[in-house]
Amino acid sequence: MGSSTRKKKEKKKDFQKAKLKVGKAKAKPDNFTDTSFKAKSIVVNQQSLTTSAPSSSTQFAHYLSLASSSRSDTQRRDALSYLTTQLSSAPVDRPLPLPTSILLPKLLPLILDGSSSVRAQLQKFLRLLPASDIGDRAEFALLYIRAGMTHLAAEIRVDALAVLEWLLEVAQEDVVSCPGGWVKTLKSFMSMMGWASSSGSSKWSSASKASFGKAGKTFPRQLLVLTQFLKAGLIESENIREVKIGGTFPLVDVERHMIPMRSNAFAHLNLFGSSRDEEGEMYIDREDRQRVFQKLFQPAVEVGMANAKKEGGEAGRASAVLAKVLKEGMADYIEVDDTQ
Amino acid sequence: MGKKRVGALEKVDADLPNLQYKIRRDPKSYSEDFLNQYGQYQSQRDIFLASPTTASSTGIVSFRDLIDFVAHVADCFPEDTASFPTDLKTILMLHHASLESELREKIVGSLVLLRRKEIIDSAELLNTLFPILVATPSKTLRTLLFQKILSDLRTSNSKSVNHRLNKTIQTALFNLLTSDRASAKGIWAVKITRELWKRQIWTDAKAVEIMKEAALADNEKVIGGGVRFFLGGDKEREELEDDSSDEEAGIDIGKLKHQAGINKKSRKTKKSLEEAVKKVKKTEKKKNQPHPLNFSALHLLHDPQGFAETLFSKHLQNSKSKLNLEQKLLVLQLVSRLVGLHKLTVISLYSYFIKYLTPRQPSVTTFLACLAQATHSLVPPDALEPLVQKIANEFVSEASASEVASAGLNAIREICVRQPLAMNDTLLQDLVMYRKSKDKGTMMAAKGLLSLYREVGADLLKKRDRGKTATIGLKSGSIKERRFGEEEIGGIEGLELLEEWKAEERKRKRAEKGLPELGTDEEDDEEDEEEENKGWENWDAESDASSDSGGWINVESDAEIEISDSEDEKPASKKAKLDSLATKSTSDTPANDEEKENVDKDKALEHKISSLATTKILTPADLAKLQELRLQASVTKTMGKNKSQAARLKELADRHADDPLTAEQIEGLSKLRKSTREEKIALAREGKGERGEHKSTQALRRQKKDAEGKSTTNREKSRKKNFMMTLGKAKFKQKRSLTQTRRVLKGHIERSKRGGKRGNIGM
Repeated sequence: MGSSTRKKKEKKKDFQKAKLKVGKAKAKPDNFTDTSFKAKSIVVNQQSLTTSAPSSSTQFAHYLSLASSSRSDTQRRDALSYLTTQLSSAPVDRPLPLPTSILLPKLLPLILDGSSSVRAQLQKFLRLLPASDIGDRAEFALLYIRAGMTHLAAEIRVDALAVLEWLLEVAQEDVVSCPGGWVKTLKSFMSMMGWASSSGSSKWSSASKASFGKAGKTFPRQLLVLTQFLKAGLIESENIREVKIGGTFPLVDVERHMIPMRSNAFAHLNLFGSSRDEEGEMYIDREDRQRVFQKLFQPAVEVGMANAKKEGGEAGRASAVLAKVLKEGMADYIEVDDTQ
Repeated sequence: MGKKRVGALEKVDADLPNLQYKIRRDPKSYSEDFLNQYGQYQSQRDIFLASPTTASSTGIVSFRDLIDFVAHVADCFPEDTASFPTDLKTILMLHHASLESELREKIVGSLVLLRRKEIIDSAELLNTLFPILVATPSKTLRTLLFQKILSDLRTSNSKSVNHRLNKTIQTALFNLLTSDRASAKGIWAVKITRELWKRQIWTDAKAVEIMKEAALADNEKVIGGGVRFFLGGDKEREELEDDSSDEEAGIDIGKLKHQAGINKKSRKTKKSLEEAVKKVKKTEKKKNQPHPLNFSALHLLHDPQGFAETLFSKHLQNSKSKLNLEQKLLVLQLVSRLVGLHKLTVISLYSYFIKYLTPRQPSVTTFLACLAQATHSLVPPDALEPLVQKIANEFVSEASASEVASAGLNAIREICVRQPLAMNDTLLQDLVMYRKSKDKGTMMAAKGLLSLYREVGADLLKKRDRGKTATIGLKSGSIKERRFGEEEIGGIEGLELLEEWKAEERKRKRAEKGLPELGTDEEDDEEDEEEENKGWENWDAESDASSDSGGWINVESDAEIEISDSEDEKPASKKAKLDSLATKSTSDTPANDEEKENVDKDKALEHKISSLATTKILTPADLAKLQELRLQASVTKTMGKNKSQAARLKELADRHADDPLTAEQIEGLSKLRKSTREEKIALAREGKGERGEHKSTQALRRQKKDAEGKSTTNREKSRKKNFMMTLGKAKFKQKRSLTQTRRVLKGHIERSKRGGKRGNIGM
């Protein structure tokens, strides 16, 4: 039995308590792994060691880059809220720390951000930007808004709609007349609301198993935003009408012969870009928009609208508003068509 | 671009793989979902195109994933995704340099996927990928594209040869090479062509033409690639074929069946057995198929003379060429190979050699080998004589080292095998004296030279060196001096063997019938006719059965050039097997008729032309037999049975026809250079058996058994058994019956007498 006693001893050894002694380091456990390492380069945590605090403008730029490219969403949100407070607390007449042309490209991708708090903060920030600067960048903003509207995540879709609402408030005319702004955005609406039909689909109707379009609560809201969008595109805004009516008698269409007030006035000629297709085209005139809308979207919209009306409730009310706008917007189109 | 954290809810929403799976199962129901995703793809694409460099795929679903998704389900919605391939192509074409690498790879992969789903065709895909391959600065992208291009070409040629695609790609490669000769971009053409040649996908003259252009380029790398292809491309191809045939041979059906019988019978084993049987049958079928006609690259060249001349004048003679010695040697090898193989005349080549023929020249043996390789029977002896003289002066002297002398002698012998007239008698007699040298290499080289001239030019030797047969031959006039340009009368290799065999067969048949061995001519003729009919019958049946599935392989128009060479005196290549032989036997017939008269006059010649080929048309059965006999003869020859001097000589000359002469052959026994480490290791390893690990014999035996899939013995099982499991049995001790106890005790006594369980060996 010699071996068995030996084994017993060995077994005992495992459970023996190590004695602690004063002045000596605690014995390392058996499974201790040495994690210390040597490195040739030293990373300094704090890179700038200036005594003076960074100026507010550099801090603004720093937070801007944090907001656009940080990995953690809390950091992004905090950076955005810093930017927001900076803008809101500044006096009205002071110019922005950085021009809008720099701010927007950095921050617009956040429309597609995964975190809802970041998106909410972004909306607050956007509303602080001067309205006059937005118009020229509507096309760029619409790119991200459309991506948001067709996004897989329902929350992002809703928030993208909010941004679109803001854009419509700020730069109504530019939204509907920029390249791709009318048809592509309408297409996004169609697919978002589930009114789109495949171009290659057969005559068979099939119950859609799609989980995408039927977001019950948000549907009325989608309808309302669509209504606003159509209103912007199909109904002539007040000031243009005023100009038309209020021209003093001998001077007719005088603004057409003046130097254009907006940038890139001949963008619709597309002199330097690659050629655009029907979707990407600019539809500057209201008649153009009406024509395209009637050709591509009106049947789908009317069917969808009728269905929504049947649903009643909030969706029904929203669809009634939509129907009104549609009627108003397309009323003179038929006239034009008849006269031609 | 780090991955952003994805919330649980969003994950469910953004589940593209799940949606993809659903769409693949039921495209119609999910078309709306797809359209949404496609819209998302389009908007992401717009964002990307608006600023390709800065746009980063933030958010949950990246642009990359969307592209992947759309590519996977594009075949379900062909109308909606009509513009998708062009989108990808434009993105790749315009922004490949600035694209983020993962996205770039995904786009390439998606394009290939679309090709596999046959949404775009091969030509479209290759026309997109190839310019990028040539232009891109990224190495990873290049390797990816190269691999994709190759695999696409392979798959599109796998079922049947896609001539149109091959032609367009070949033209593109050709244009790439010829448009800018100085650029290094041509290396891609070389790489692609070489790979496809190796895999026998491109085997036509056009591919060779591409490589020819590469060899004539201005860029060193491209030149090297082209030249290496000609020197080693065919060998590579053969090796690959050998490898693949080795792999398949490894299945033992008997064993598999046995195992399937013993082990648990499951559906899986049954299936695997069936698969194995199928595979074996396939390989057997493949084995029975005739060898596909694959001409070597050197034979497919359209204008070897022009090619050799330009190569020589451009890269070797030209003092401005930037090639280093190694590259020059490669080019020289190719030029000399071409000259030797096609019997070209490039007179200035020989004078070029003169300055390199000194023992101090680096890698001089390669130069010597090249010189010997460039020699053939139509080279004027005047051009060679100074070279031989120089080799003799520089290398072969009492003062020079033995290795140098033997290399020199070997080189001279190799030259003289190919052109015996390059030697004069004083020099020869001088060189032959070295057979008394103490160094083995020198001695053997000199003896080789002596035996060579006993065969081809005995009158140059001193009388006492000539040997018996040569002296007698000279006296009787059977050995004649060959003049410059004189050619041997040719025939069909092994025809005399066939004739012999036929005569023997006839004898045997007559013996079976009980007739006297020698019959009248009429009877013979009748029998012959019968036999012949049988032969053709057989062939007809065969041709009917195998008209579609092989047997005889259609020779493309390119290959005809090769066959029409049969007016040449020698068989053009060994690789042109049955087919060329058949045509040759017919085309040679009239020629042989004329020659026959000459042969009758000159009966002293050892190999007379057999009358068989001139009087009969060989049936396919005959040809098959001929092939068999030839093989047999070659086997006995390699076994060393009655190998005559002349046969050995012929072997030497034949070796020249297809294989290159190497520096090693010139060096002979001794080595002029230090052996490399690998060679030393190989030398030390030689003769020692393979023994991967140091293990006990038992363990090795066990390993072998395991590898064969055999089970353990009972003894081994009991030895390995877990100790705790044996305890129960030990307790049984108390309950044993009297007889059992007795047996145990008896056993104990016996064992103690024997001295332990295994016996006391010491006693």
